Amino acid sequence: MIRKTTLALAAAAAALLGATAASAQTEGATDTSTRTFQVTGNVPVICAGGTLSGGDSTFAMGVLVNTTTGLLRTDLSAPDKTLGGAFCSARSTISIAATRMTAQSATGAAPAGFSNSVDFTATASGWTTTPASVNTAASSNPAATQSRTTPFSGDIVVGLSNFATTGGTTLRPVADSSYLGSVTVTLTAAN
Amino acid sequence: MKTLFLTATAVALVAAATPASAQDTDTGTVSVTGNVSRLCILGAPASTVIDLGQMAETSGARVGKLTTIGNKSVTLPGSFCNFANSVVTVDATALVASDTTAAQTGFARAVNFTATASNWAATNAAATTGADRQGAGATATGSGSVQPLPKLSDISLTLSAYSAPGDLLMVAGGYTGSVTVTLAPQATPAP
Repeated sequence: MIRKTTLALAAAAAALLGATAASAQTEGATDTSTRTFQVTGNVPVICAGGTLSGGDSTFAMGVLVNTTTGLLRTDLSAPDKTLGGAFCSARSTISIAATRMTAQSATGAAPAGFSNSVDFTATASGWTTTPASVNTAASSNPAATQSRTTPFSGDIVVGLSNFATTGGTTLRPVADSSYLGSVTVTLTAAN
Repeated sequence: MKTLFLTATAVALVAAATPASAQDTDTGTVSVTGNVSRLCILGAPASTVIDLGQMAETSGARVGKLTTIGNKSVTLPGSFCNFANSVVTVDATALVASDTTAAQTGFARAVNFTATASNWAATNAAATTGADRQGAGATATGSGSVQPLPKLSDISLTLSAYSAPGDLLMVAGGYTGSVTVTLAPQATPAP
């Protein structure tokens, strides 16, 4: 009677162990463990105007007038300036602004028949399909700001043209040792 | 009356058994068995996000390019395999810009890095991503040497050696990559 009872317990234990072994086999996937990490970072929107080449930062126009007629020379020109390595890391706008060349020693209004300033057109090309341009004689310059929809890296070429005496081509610039104007190119990221 | 009858029966059973045990020994053996499943467990890290932060230089000669990013480490504490011949594997995916627009000339939209899982076997598991500037080919895998013993240790995952394809300018925006660490049995050679 006792022996039979003992055998019955052994059978039960064997059955239980058998079940455990089967369970271990089904859990074989636990011999592999994985952890996944997300790696993040960011790059801010950056625009850089590049490095100016083509000599110094001055468009030196030299003598502005025809020394025979006193009128503004019609052949005024100066080598372009290049902003090398300009870039924006996102879509951007390029704007160009300019102030006319003005006689620095002149005071008050110019006498009749004379003018104390010279207008011109400044153009920044290479950044957008349509160059940004501004004319200092114009009251409105809608083309002065141009946009592009993608990041860009390249050279911006700034040139001057269309010089004209303020007030009309028949006016003569007053004598002055220094006529001074300016051109400013601005790159702006558009978020 | 009923109680008296049961007592008498029990006494009779004991009397019958006693003479038998006195004559010889009857042994019943019960096998006690069990097993331990093969387990590899990677400990829970403090964070599953590795943030590299702002990745571009914002001034100086390298403005717009990848800045110097320090190594980033995360620990998988209490990682273990309870059997011999386990291997750590690292699967890394380069950071790629969330903006899916193709990068313009001169720009890259990916950041490569080396992911290294150390403190498991003689040779660390390391993977270096090699994405191109458009983010293609961003994944890499590397395994360490075989750990010949069951082992318990703090596995360290380190990201280092960051680089931008071609050291180009970086497209602005968010970037995301990933690293997956796997602790598993040594791969069985194909028959």
